[in-house]
Amino acid sequence: MAAQTKLERSEQINGWLFVMPALVLLGLFMVYPIVWSLWMSFQTGRGMNFSFGGFANIVRLTQDPIFLRALGNTFTFLIIQVPIMLVLALLFATALNDTRLWGRGFFRTAIFLPCITSLVAYSILFKSMFANDGVINDFLLASGLIADPIPWLGDPFWAKVVVISAITWRWTGYNMIFYLAAMQNIDRSIYEAARIDGVPAWARFWYITVPMLKPVILFTSVISTIGTLQLFDEVNVLTLGGPSDSTLTLSLYIYNLTFKFMPNFGYASTVSYVIVVLVGILSFLQFLVARDRR
Amino acid sequence: MSTLDQATELSPAIAARRSNPSFNLLALVSRGLVYLLLSIAAFVSIFPFIWMFVSSTNTAADVLTGKATLGNALWANIVTFFTTVDAPRIFWNSAFLAIVGTVLTLIISSLAGYGFEMFKSRFREKIFGALLLMLSIPFAALMIPLFIMMANLKLINTYAAILLPAIASIFIIFYFRQATKAFPSELRDAARIDGLKEWQIFLYVYLPVMRSTYAAAIIIVFMANWNNYLWPLIVLQTNEQKTITLVIQSLSSAYYPEWGVIMVGTILATLPTLLIFFVLQRRFVEGMLGAVK
Amino acid sequence: MSNLKLRGIRKAFGNLEVIKGVDLDINSSEFVVFVGPSGCGKSTLLRMIAGLEPITSGELDIGGERMNDVDPSKRGIAMVFQTYALYPHMTVRENMGFALRFAGKPKDEIEKQVKEASRILELDPLLDRLPKQLSGGQRQRVAIGRAIVRHPQVFLFDEPLSNLDAELRVHMRIEIARLHKELKATMIYVTHDQVEAMTLADKIVVLREGEIAQVGAPLQLYDNPDNLFVAGFIGSPKMNFMAAEVVDRDNGKLVVALANHGGTKVALPIADSSANKGDKVTLGVRPEHFADAGKGDSDITVGIDVAEHLGQTSYLYARAPGGEQLIIEREESRDHGALDSLTVAISARHAFLFDAAGKRLR
Repeated sequence: MAAQTKLERSEQINGWLFVMPALVLLGLFMVYPIVWSLWMSFQTGRGMNFSFGGFANIVRLTQDPIFLRALGNTFTFLIIQVPIMLVLALLFATALNDTRLWGRGFFRTAIFLPCITSLVAYSILFKSMFANDGVINDFLLASGLIADPIPWLGDPFWAKVVVISAITWRWTGYNMIFYLAAMQNIDRSIYEAARIDGVPAWARFWYITVPMLKPVILFTSVISTIGTLQLFDEVNVLTLGGPSDSTLTLSLYIYNLTFKFMPNFGYASTVSYVIVVLVGILSFLQFLVARDRR
Repeated sequence: MSTLDQATELSPAIAARRSNPSFNLLALVSRGLVYLLLSIAAFVSIFPFIWMFVSSTNTAADVLTGKATLGNALWANIVTFFTTVDAPRIFWNSAFLAIVGTVLTLIISSLAGYGFEMFKSRFREKIFGALLLMLSIPFAALMIPLFIMMANLKLINTYAAILLPAIASIFIIFYFRQATKAFPSELRDAARIDGLKEWQIFLYVYLPVMRSTYAAAIIIVFMANWNNYLWPLIVLQTNEQKTITLVIQSLSSAYYPEWGVIMVGTILATLPTLLIFFVLQRRFVEGMLGAVK
Repeated sequence: MSNLKLRGIRKAFGNLEVIKGVDLDINSSEFVVFVGPSGCGKSTLLRMIAGLEPITSGELDIGGERMNDVDPSKRGIAMVFQTYALYPHMTVRENMGFALRFAGKPKDEIEKQVKEASRILELDPLLDRLPKQLSGGQRQRVAIGRAIVRHPQVFLFDEPLSNLDAELRVHMRIEIARLHKELKATMIYVTHDQVEAMTLADKIVVLREGEIAQVGAPLQLYDNPDNLFVAGFIGSPKMNFMAAEVVDRDNGKLVVALANHGGTKVALPIADSSANKGDKVTLGVRPEHFADAGKGDSDITVGIDVAEHLGQTSYLYARAPGGEQLIIEREESRDHGALDSLTVAISARHAFLFDAAGKRLR
């Protein structure tokens, strides 16, 4: 190629000037830490005294009951909470997409409202509501659904139920908004054509709406999954991971390893790379599915 | 609409159902079920907010026993909240971090989003691809090295430690790049002929033209900063530096939490985002959806 | 008012060369139109003159100065865009004064210039409106006003009328012609519409695949095209092309036989010695140049597929016995319809001959 002209050069320089501040910051506070953390994950030792441990940390992972517990809990949350939430969001969106529905705006705003709370604030509210003699138990007792109060936050099973309900409360409206927006982009005349062809309502939903929402459903499942893998704020406020580690998540375990006990940066980094790898695999799967669609 | 109804009449399947009275009943019942479902959902969604306001008027003991009616401890709770914690100070800390963080993030990240879209080169395109891959790096994987870094830089317990890693947000860069695709490049051409330097084009043409994109981005970033918890929890260590989120969390993890008082703090922590939501509802939703389109 | 000189101008995007060496002189105060099909490089060439696209190689002179590396705002040019490119957040007044503001002109000077331009373009009542409150034609006038305010040596127009409806296009065309008379500035105008080119230009530059196909005054291109491409591009409806073969050379006349018209012979006054007996050639006749049967040099008979009667003029879409399609223009035609057959005459003085490579034989 010919030598660059002055105009080409200034275009190049300007292009770099616009992106450079962001790139420098990202390099310092993202690329460098992530590489460093990879290095640390092969180190052992307490505090800042590192010594190369090879695969010692990975071996330790497989024998660490607390890690396996946290991993198991995270997957429990993932497998139960994400589908419940997305199905609810899809149902609400379908109901609210009906222009003849009375009070549409009110229902939409109400269901979306939990999204504006901070994770900490709503977790505090849930903690107070799910107290042993608290308002939830009062309501369930009064309505005759249960005979004895449920020890919500004191029981390993019920504590998980509280965490799942809390996350579902906070994020269902958020996902619903994505579905609603996508539904509004579907050409109405498709539905009109289907009605003229005598296609019943359930079939219109199943054979028209769901396939056309596939990209959004995929997107929301990926972001929800990534969010759940990083779950921290809620469990730290609601249960601190208890009782007996029944709600401990990977992020909370990393935090505990680093800041609660005598810090073990190497091993904590190894645990954090478990999340990186899981997110990586999920993103790759999403990429595969997205490519299939083309 | 009326012609469409006439058209549907012609379909034998539907005509048959119309004449069938049980079909009308079914429609009525399913409609009723929809309203029931939505009403329950709306109630469940709103109840914690009501609970928050009601509980702020009750004593800790009343909150724990599930008292769902207004009490008369509101004033006492407010007074206790303002005497146990330095409320103006922590509110100011939160506001400072959220506002300064939002301004810096928008400047740096929108510059980059504009740069990536307007000045294309194969090399920069590759960098952008790498950024997208990094979009899904979880914060948990960064917090340990970041913490050691901040400790080495003697930035622990400073706001710089909170702000520096947040300013260049890949998500916001991506958001602005997407939005810039709708910005007509002829405007830049016209401005170049009119004698503007590239930074002047950004400041005097791009920025005002993209007002609504900025408004939506401000909401997303402000919310994220205001509600930020894990990183401030790690970095901010003295009470003078703490944000309202950190303070209400630490109050609630006391052995005997003063629930009524905590509710006052929770209301204060929720109020700014609640206000933004009701004032700018449309922009709010646009912002959430923005980056996907 | 400046003249422009382009010497060996090239533009490459990577390995793809889109402008392949353009040499062109544009005189001061001339109205030059770049015309060609889409993708011929006419807009790229204009943007290179403007400084919006870097010049890969070659020399660009404006007013006797080398401009290759000069900033767009310092080339003494102004540009009007197809999409108008008005700043949407500024009023008409601010749009027009924007360049002067950044040139550091004092406020009253800017106001004076804006007033002057708005008087010329009759924009006074619109000065405080935003672009979105204007119609397409008004926006285009503001875009022109923004150019005028800067008193450029050279005006550049990039398909300025393409986004307007047919009626407004005619109106704005006349407006631009009037403006050229009044301002006496050099104007370079890009369009794919040959009617705009014919009506506006002092000089037309026909571009094809990054190269100049021919330069000349509008009627010169119409009467005397250099090649098949220009012959086909200039004139509406398009010139008819008939496959032919050189059969004889006689007394400075070249005799060709029309392949699809049963070998009908046409004798043309062509001295060019490069054509030999047996060469495949193309005979071009414009729709308006067919004469009544017997009144030309050679008669041909065609079948009419469709007849379009526009009143004064009729266009007959006809088919030669060999299958070739022809368009024939008739005046005051009342008696020709579809399925009729028609005999018309080709006049040698209105026929063009092109060799197999598309070069005109004279």
